[in-house]
Amino acid sequence: MLGRLGSLLLTLFLASLLVFFSRFLVPGDPVRFLLRGRKPSPEAVAQVREQFGLDLPAWQQYVRWLGGILHGDWGRSLQYRQDVTTVIGDRLPVTLILVVMSALMIAIIGIAAGIVAAVNRGKVLDRAILILLTVLAAIPSFVGSIVLIAVFAVQLGWFPSFGSGQGFWDTVYHLVLPSLALTIVFVVLIGKVTRSSMVDQFGREHVEVAASRGLARIPLIRRHVFRNSIGPILTVSGLLVAGLLVASSIVESAFGIAGMGSLLVQSVDRLDFPVVQAIIMFVVTAFVVVNAIVDLLEPWVDPRAAAGEAAR
Amino acid sequence: MNTTRTRSARRAAAIAAGGLAAVLALAGCAGSGSGGATSATADYKLTANTPPPSGDIDSFSWVSYSEPFSLDYAYAFDYSDNQVLSNVCESLLRLKPDWTLEPGLADSYTHPTPTTWVYAIRDGVTFHDGTPLTAADVVASMRRHLDPAVGSSWYSVYQNVSSIQKTGDREVTVTESIPDSQFNLGMGSSAGVIESAKFLAEKGKDYGNSTGGVDCTGPFELAQWKQGEIITLKRYADYWDKSLKAKAGQVKFVFMGDANARVNALKSGDVDGGYMIPPDAIAQLQASKQGQVYFGLNTAVSSLIVSNMKGVLGDLRVRQALEMAIDRQGILNAAVQGYGEETNALTTPSVWVGASESAMKQAFTGLKTYPHDLEAAKKLVKDAGAEGKQIVYVTAPIGNEFTVISQATAAAAKAIGLKVKIQTMSPSSYTTLFSDPSARQGVDLFYTSWYLSSPDPLEMYSVLRTGQFSNYGGWSDPEFDKVVNEAIPLSDPAARSEKTAQAQKIANEQLPWLPLFQGHMTMFMGKRITGASPSVAFLYYPWAATIGKR
Repeated sequence: MLGRLGSLLLTLFLASLLVFFSRFLVPGDPVRFLLRGRKPSPEAVAQVREQFGLDLPAWQQYVRWLGGILHGDWGRSLQYRQDVTTVIGDRLPVTLILVVMSALMIAIIGIAAGIVAAVNRGKVLDRAILILLTVLAAIPSFVGSIVLIAVFAVQLGWFPSFGSGQGFWDTVYHLVLPSLALTIVFVVLIGKVTRSSMVDQFGREHVEVAASRGLARIPLIRRHVFRNSIGPILTVSGLLVAGLLVASSIVESAFGIAGMGSLLVQSVDRLDFPVVQAIIMFVVTAFVVVNAIVDLLEPWVDPRAAAGEAAR
Repeated sequence: MNTTRTRSARRAAAIAAGGLAAVLALAGCAGSGSGGATSATADYKLTANTPPPSGDIDSFSWVSYSEPFSLDYAYAFDYSDNQVLSNVCESLLRLKPDWTLEPGLADSYTHPTPTTWVYAIRDGVTFHDGTPLTAADVVASMRRHLDPAVGSSWYSVYQNVSSIQKTGDREVTVTESIPDSQFNLGMGSSAGVIESAKFLAEKGKDYGNSTGGVDCTGPFELAQWKQGEIITLKRYADYWDKSLKAKAGQVKFVFMGDANARVNALKSGDVDGGYMIPPDAIAQLQASKQGQVYFGLNTAVSSLIVSNMKGVLGDLRVRQALEMAIDRQGILNAAVQGYGEETNALTTPSVWVGASESAMKQAFTGLKTYPHDLEAAKKLVKDAGAEGKQIVYVTAPIGNEFTVISQATAAAAKAIGLKVKIQTMSPSSYTTLFSDPSARQGVDLFYTSWYLSSPDPLEMYSVLRTGQFSNYGGWSDPEFDKVVNEAIPLSDPAARSEKTAQAQKIANEQLPWLPLFQGHMTMFMGKRITGASPSVAFLYYPWAATIGKR
């Protein structure tokens, strides 16, 4: 447990180095961007540089930044002239809801499609599902978003095409189409993993034995096939969370949602490094934490994993 | 004042003031005199004011292409910032839709010596928190522009200011180091905004952002700012100027970066109105029956900035050749659907407020024209020995007009024997071309739609003097510097315009920038609302206060 925590902290530390120093590789002076083409007084340029700590050597800037983070201070956004925590805090909830909604949709649709395909393995339905999933995955998010808006918002008028609404349920309603746009791209991951690990289980001896003993089909699939397939699905889900956080940027832009993803893209373009660094650290942390949770869950889902570890 | 802007920058032929809801039919005629042909494709008329509303309205919504970065007046220097701020915060002077100045928070001003401006502060004005406006607020607000820690975008208006003092109970005196007519003319813009001194001190570094907000004197107060999505203003009940009391209880600003999304929202009636309509959507919006598109006064000229006078374009003959080779009417038709006119000047007639008749004549009708003539242009390039030499053109995926103009320019340059390299930047990096000399390194040419924020063309020409920050190519002409420097101290607008006209003529002949066309401001109002002016004065004038029920 301690070892796991240690490696988590080490990962985050290395990530922080990478995230912070990579900004010095990007051309462009944040201060010049801040001035947005206006004529400043010469002293103002120096002052702005000092305010944002840009006059210090890189390593000092890093130490200051890291020290700030440990106190919950992520610095000031250059573009909004506001605390980074406020800028991100305003946008985090909507992105989290979006990611959770998409993850649920992906899990439900993906697992269902995977099960149906695996049960009908080799048949036409299996092929059809595989082809459909692959085709969906090939549609870029922005195209998917435009089609969804055109059909469900403009033509049918079932869902709003823009914004994230007011209040929790209104937000959920506003995020149905954006979540669907993400689902289209990522459902293939869960669907294919579910199918292949279930197909794998079908060929296993214990399943064949159980079947030969006359165990009914449904309990057989549930207890002997699907249960044993959850491990790989969980592992992929861990990867999925990071993917969703990143891909949300495209969908958020298409639907005019002020979330973390659209903020990230905009901040990169505007050289707003404090915001970029904070978002990337957030995504890295989310990724590491989710995978740690997956690791913890695995023995619980599949006792063999725990047994294997104990035997080692 | 620069903008990399993009969107539909339009210009208006001088609009005669007056007349209720005066609708002036002058498609590309009166006052333009720019020698440009009028497009046959675009049929439109300029409007000074839309019909007055029949009554108050609870709420209306307005769409903008971008969210303000900040509502701090010191940083408000773009369409998206200013169109919100102008309804909330007011300046010492008020820039009206016809682009003339009238008293604002200063009920009068005097100019007792060539270097001092004395402002009498209006009595009976309150900030949105109810506290009265005082001379101390004026001093505190104006001094921020001089504070390096603030880094004001409006510093250039204050560059000659040596002191700002309270000199009476309701009197503030601004002293300058040299005589400067431009300072007072800038007081109708955000450079003249007055904020509560108490509020400034209270909010500190969060002043003007979505947490800190603003507390000004305008007809609307800031009710909510949900970052990234919506800004809501509500009527300020105790607003001092009864004639501009808000007719709407609430205004909701929404932000849609995507032009199609913006047009769809207007067309479907989801949003009641907006400024700067994408030109290619004007016809479909007109046909939609959801409302009407209006064309109004503008101060912007679309031109190409020559950013490297040491390169091929350093030779005047090559600049002239390029100006002759570019199909400006074609650009006008393709980039803004013909809603505008070709121009040979870098200013619009609309900003020549108080100019003498002879100055106007020299400034517009007396200009050198550059008729489209490839053969003559080729010869000039050959004479200059520039055949086969390369120019670097930088553009960004900002809007249709950027694409059209970059392609047209490249085609023109190739046609006269130059090589062209087009570099594409991200829209945000593009803005650094305007502030960072290193970003302009190796760049010969880039496009701008440059608008003015004061009723004086000198605002344009003063930045083209030798060594000025926005003289991007390092162009230098002693005669030009001389007439501009002679013009700046003159407080009589007519006398000043005579000198400025000479400057305009020199710029027209020397082409430090290549003028292309002048477009018009555009505005759409849905069928629920009416009352706003389609003038670019929306940047500084409380336009939303005039909108009510149709």
